[in-house]
Amino acid sequence: MVRALALGAALLAALTVAVSAHGPSRQKVTETVEINAPPDKVWQTIGNFQDMSWHPAVAKTEGKGGNEPKATRTLTLTSGGKIDEQLLKYDPAKMTYKYEMHHPDVKVIPVNNYSSILSVKGEGDKSTVEWRGAFYRGFMNNDPPPELNDEAAKKAVTDIYRSGLDALKQKLEAGG
Amino acid sequence: MRFRLKHAALILAAALVAAGAASAVETRHVSEAFVTNQTDDTLSIVELATLEVADTIKIGGKPAGIAMSADGTRAFVTAPEGNELVVVDALKRQIIKRIKVGAGPLGVAAHPTNGRVYVADWYKHKVFVVDPDVGRIVAEVQVGQSPSGLAVTPDGRLLLSADRDSNEVSVIDTQTNKRVGGVAVGERPFGITIDAAGARAYTANVGSDDVSVIDIASRKLIATVPVGRRPYAVALAGSRAFVTNQYGDSVSVIDLASSKVLKTIDVGDHPEGIEADPAGANVYVACWFDNLLQRIDPVGLTVTGEAAVGDGPRAFGLFLR
Repeated sequence: MVRALALGAALLAALTVAVSAHGPSRQKVTETVEINAPPDKVWQTIGNFQDMSWHPAVAKTEGKGGNEPKATRTLTLTSGGKIDEQLLKYDPAKMTYKYEMHHPDVKVIPVNNYSSILSVKGEGDKSTVEWRGAFYRGFMNNDPPPELNDEAAKKAVTDIYRSGLDALKQKLEAGG
Repeated sequence: MRFRLKHAALILAAALVAAGAASAVETRHVSEAFVTNQTDDTLSIVELATLEVADTIKIGGKPAGIAMSADGTRAFVTAPEGNELVVVDALKRQIIKRIKVGAGPLGVAAHPTNGRVYVADWYKHKVFVVDPDVGRIVAEVQVGQSPSGLAVTPDGRLLLSADRDSNEVSVIDTQTNKRVGGVAVGERPFGITIDAAGARAYTANVGSDDVSVIDIASRKLIATVPVGRRPYAVALAGSRAFVTNQYGDSVSVIDLASSKVLKTIDVGDHPEGIEADPAGANVYVACWFDNLLQRIDPVGLTVTGEAAVGDGPRAFGLFLR
């Protein structure tokens, strides 16, 4: 029991150090989609920090603090993984919000120190949604394994953005 | 006609050199920014007068840190993924040496007189002392965990290292290359800047969202100033400090006398490296996500111009010459 506790403490210590450091180079991903719908309507769909139901990979959004800075949300993915996020900035006039992810599980998403901006621009019946993210890879030291390297991190984020934006377009354009 | 133009250009160049030499006696004059673009592996050289990119140099190894020799003729760039210190001839705009250093070189600083360059190694928890002319490491100093920003006092006696994962600043004697003390600061200090008098040092603490003010002589923390989310680095101009908030997309302006934030200026996404010109006339900030070098008026506290640079500018260190 004592040994198990000691081992646990050692693991925790190792984990703490790992969490505090990160790889040498931050990555960035920007994905956009053009939607045949007015910007206001698009923002109505995606502009609530407490509702990520527009994304096909998100099964449930639970959170508190509404759309005020420091509001939090927990996304439960259809895969079963969970992601904790916090709102940094919210500007409905500019139709944009910025948030960060808290201590992601690299098995759910292989990134660290992730922050992101979601925004809508456009006029008339045309909108452009931009989703951009800044993050480090999942493995925080030199010589990462392939599933936790820079490319894996970029691919994971790109896939999430792409699938979300494409589904959003489909949903809004089908709904007229 | 072409000949005459060339001749005129030569005379102009000679006049500029003479002007540069004259002003060096008074306040150091700066005319260019050397911006490390980590994502696209380059260095953008920006003319400050026009905010135009005059040249782009391929560096490789995901360049991040930057320092200038005291005379402004050499730029020292760290390439953390190439494990190199890259020495650039700042006048010819050419790489003149690549020096292998450690396993994660990031922060870098140049000594004002002895020619040494200090390189912080993020993974080896050491500061390497490099002779850039000979092209090799001449000493190493054991510091705290993941040293990040480095700064040398104007008299050249002390080197300060922001040891990010120890929440501490190491004080190093540059004569002996030994760590002679430490000062506990906020959480995860990253950038560190020393004032022109060599009296105080300022760390941007990424973890606790504040700036620590250190009295260098007594090695004491004398103030902690809350700023925006994830502060990265600090620039000093006149009686004010300018702090980049990576997640805030902003620069916090601190009044140094009262240690209070006067204003928060909106800038580009993920502002990082920041430096004031020696006259305190302008502050320049690299915005990593937006690929911009922005200029701030440190009196009016507004953004007054910007230059489009390469992808992922960090400019971590002193990048003006």
